[in-house]
Amino acid sequence: MDKKQREFKVLLVDDEDVFREATARQLSVRGFIVLAAASGEAAVEIVRTDPPEVVVLDQQMPGMHGSDTFIAIKEIDPLIEVIMLTGNTSVDNAIEMMQMGTFDYLMKPINVDELLYKIEDAYTRKKLNEKRQQEAGQ
Amino acid sequence: MLKQLATFSKKIFFLNREGADPTLEAEEVEALRLTFKSRYHSFKLLLAANSRILEGMANIERALQGNESFSMSFVQTQCTAISVNVFRMINDMENIAPGKYTALKDSFAAIKKQIDALLGARKKIEDRRLVIPLDAISSDMTDLVGGKMANLGDVKNRLQMNVPAGFGITAAAHEMFMQADGLQREIDRLFQVAGSDEDRNLDLVSSQIRQLIMAAEVPEAIYLAVVDAYSAMREANGGQDIKMAVRSSAFGEDAENSSFAGQYRSELNVAFSQFFYYYKQVIASKYSVQAITYKLSRGFRDEDIAMCVGVLAMVDAVAGGVIYTRNPLDSKDEAIFINSTWGLPKSVVDGNDLCDLFVVGRDHDLTILRRDVQQKDYKVVILEGDGCARTATDDSLAAQPSLSDEQIQELADHAIRIEQYYETPQDIEWAINSDGKIFILQSRPLQQMEAVLPGAELDLERFASSLIVEGGINASPGVACGKVFRVAKKVDILQFPEGAILVVEQALPTWAPLVARAAAVVSEQGGFAGHLANVAREFGIPAIFGVKGAMARMHNGDEVTVAADLGRVYLGAIAPLLEWTRPEPKLMLGSPVYESLKEISHHIIPLNLLDPDSREFVPQNCQTFHDITRFIHEKSVVEMFNFGKDHSFSERSSKQLHYRVPMNWWILNLDDGFAHEIHSKYVKLEDIVSIPMLAFWQGFAAIPWDGPPAMDGKGMTSIMFRSTMNTALVSGVKSKYADRNYFLISKNYCTLSSRLGYHFCTMEAMVSERSGENYLGFKFKGGAADFERCLGRVNFIREILERYGFRATINSDNLDARIEGYDMEYMIGRLKILGYLTLHTRQLDMIMGNAAMVNYYMNKLTRDIDTLL
Repeated sequence: MDKKQREFKVLLVDDEDVFREATARQLSVRGFIVLAAASGEAAVEIVRTDPPEVVVLDQQMPGMHGSDTFIAIKEIDPLIEVIMLTGNTSVDNAIEMMQMGTFDYLMKPINVDELLYKIEDAYTRKKLNEKRQQEAGQ
Repeated sequence: MLKQLATFSKKIFFLNREGADPTLEAEEVEALRLTFKSRYHSFKLLLAANSRILEGMANIERALQGNESFSMSFVQTQCTAISVNVFRMINDMENIAPGKYTALKDSFAAIKKQIDALLGARKKIEDRRLVIPLDAISSDMTDLVGGKMANLGDVKNRLQMNVPAGFGITAAAHEMFMQADGLQREIDRLFQVAGSDEDRNLDLVSSQIRQLIMAAEVPEAIYLAVVDAYSAMREANGGQDIKMAVRSSAFGEDAENSSFAGQYRSELNVAFSQFFYYYKQVIASKYSVQAITYKLSRGFRDEDIAMCVGVLAMVDAVAGGVIYTRNPLDSKDEAIFINSTWGLPKSVVDGNDLCDLFVVGRDHDLTILRRDVQQKDYKVVILEGDGCARTATDDSLAAQPSLSDEQIQELADHAIRIEQYYETPQDIEWAINSDGKIFILQSRPLQQMEAVLPGAELDLERFASSLIVEGGINASPGVACGKVFRVAKKVDILQFPEGAILVVEQALPTWAPLVARAAAVVSEQGGFAGHLANVAREFGIPAIFGVKGAMARMHNGDEVTVAADLGRVYLGAIAPLLEWTRPEPKLMLGSPVYESLKEISHHIIPLNLLDPDSREFVPQNCQTFHDITRFIHEKSVVEMFNFGKDHSFSERSSKQLHYRVPMNWWILNLDDGFAHEIHSKYVKLEDIVSIPMLAFWQGFAAIPWDGPPAMDGKGMTSIMFRSTMNTALVSGVKSKYADRNYFLISKNYCTLSSRLGYHFCTMEAMVSERSGENYLGFKFKGGAADFERCLGRVNFIREILERYGFRATINSDNLDARIEGYDMEYMIGRLKILGYLTLHTRQLDMIMGNAAMVNYYMNKLTRDIDTLL
């Protein structure tokens, strides 16, 4: 198994305790610093106080829905990359989220390695975007 | 091998910041580096998305073979995954070449719109009548009252046979019931929540839905329409109350090859006061565990099945049963098979009691060819109040034939007339009342099978010592081998292993969901006319019924061979019998889910953009998602290759490979493919650290090429002729894109476009620690010989690649091979094979007419490859 230390923060948001805890554990084992939230509201709070680089966000949650949570996160920091997870969705729904700027869209049951690649790719993208923004600002 | 490769390429990676173009300002250089880096990252994401799309298309193609069952949620998931990744590729392409290919979004939107329409299509019911009397029903009203009632309408009204009075409650009524109080919405939601775990949560979902239906109110309009229809029946009956049979007549229920046999509820002898309770029971039975399992395994969508209900006046039957107008087990046998018992036909249909079998010839006199009269200890009769019961038959009657010869012949005559009317063999349910009058209760297409075993040619004595059970009825022909699993209680269903031999005491419809998972079925009781026998035949699963002592003599875990045609079971795997195993029927073919996927696939899979050099190769001509991905893939490589030149940025311009001497190979470093920045126009092999390129090169350079094979006169003439005809073969005229061998590389990625001699090939590889994202694609086309020989070579290469685990297809003379998902070491081995083949199949098209030469080269090449690995 891939055990290198990645040393950047990933926020995992899912109301299903079993899924969230198991996935968080698997990501920690693979060297990520994992923050977890059981609701959209809790996720937004974490993004404000302890901002992660990448957010993995379940779309179907009671209370604050995944897409609303996504918008709230992007309002706080547009450079945070968000990967959406979903159990069951329509093509329309998925494309709409992609158009809004989610980094990628994964369907449950997920393959942890695939999620790991996506998180790394999202992180690389975020760092590149940060650099580009810095340059544009100079 | 990895170690070897590591020493071959052991270089330290560092970025030489002094290596930039002297004419550019430092800041511009930094900006270009960053832009290139960002584009390269998009390029990598684009390639990963491309792989996901190819994977999704392969999933769809596999599903379309029709061997495995899949549900609408599979179709939905594949469509979503493919759409998301195509969209992702378009976005990444926009980052690689901003503003250049914006028309792709329009093509995407147009294709997506067509797919959406197919995914969302629901049949609209035009006729809004809620109840239709049987007198007004005909067989063209299947979409209104379901197949069972529509067929019965013709038997009554066109054939003028005796059918009890009755009416059909329509699909429009079903829709009204399901829409009232948001019942359907709630059901959809429950299925959606169960999602991919549908199988595991099935019991729970099924019971939740059935409770919802039973708790729902029947809309007043349906209530009033039923009251009207019943009142008319009562009036015609001289004002006397009528007991009714309330039966499912669902869409697809009685279609050919999909019987839904016994999955739905039927209630006999129902008084009007109880009617709506049973109407809801029938509707709810659409969501029984058996019905949902069956629906999934046969590719029906929930919305495909409108539960129409048939209502018939109850016949107080003295005898009843089922006629097969032909032999269901042997399509060459024209005789008529009449299964009969005392009382209601229910026990024949359920298949749990013994019944008589009369076989009648199709000759002028309707000769009775066979009389199998059984001891019928039980019969089903209607009760004084509601419902019916299984009771003991009078001793004097039990062993008597349940039909007289006149009745047998009268039934055979009915059978022939119904079959002639429908022009296809029928499965007919009938009853005879105390006046001796025959009533037809149902008629539907009969599924026939071929006998499997060759009979007389088999020397059964050879394995007589292995015989453990014999004397059963062949309920579904065929041979199968598996381990015995006896099922006695409902809980055993959960433990039933895939591919086991199902052994039961009674052939009950309850076991139907197990049939699709079983290799064969053996039951102590039951006949070939029962529901379970129907299901076994439908799924092509061998079945023997009426085997006394099977439960005692067949032990859990024993491996046995079931030979249904012989009515025998043997211990162990009997190879000479298993040679006659029937191929699995493709049950998904033609089902609504299958047809949906097939139509949707037309917007995803076909590839119309084949030639990148053609004028037609533009975003506007992308008609499918495959076209879009092909277009983007092609253009992204070109854009990445041209970046250095377009931006006068030498750091990202191609270098010529220097391997002992300058070679006709150009190399562009995308990121970390060189050990350090190269200033000169040449790059040496030892400066390259691209894992896939080095692996390819090792294979390419490992064994020297023997030179062109000896050519016969025909080969030479052909090559000369082709050179004059095909401008692409003559240097100076060929397109700029094709006139070099070039590599684009990074540490883990490599793409090669090469023209060696007269053929053209491309290779693309991603090889890294991320095994799940590793892939290797290889395309090969052309040659100097005539088309047949070019095709010969393409097939030759395909054979070798398939031998080493590649998946390969040939379209015209284009070979397309791919392998994915393996770890680095394995992929490196496959790359060496490609490197080797790229060199050593040069000009082999010339010898493709000579079988001996082909054989020689096949042996030589595979021998060489084995030494490489």
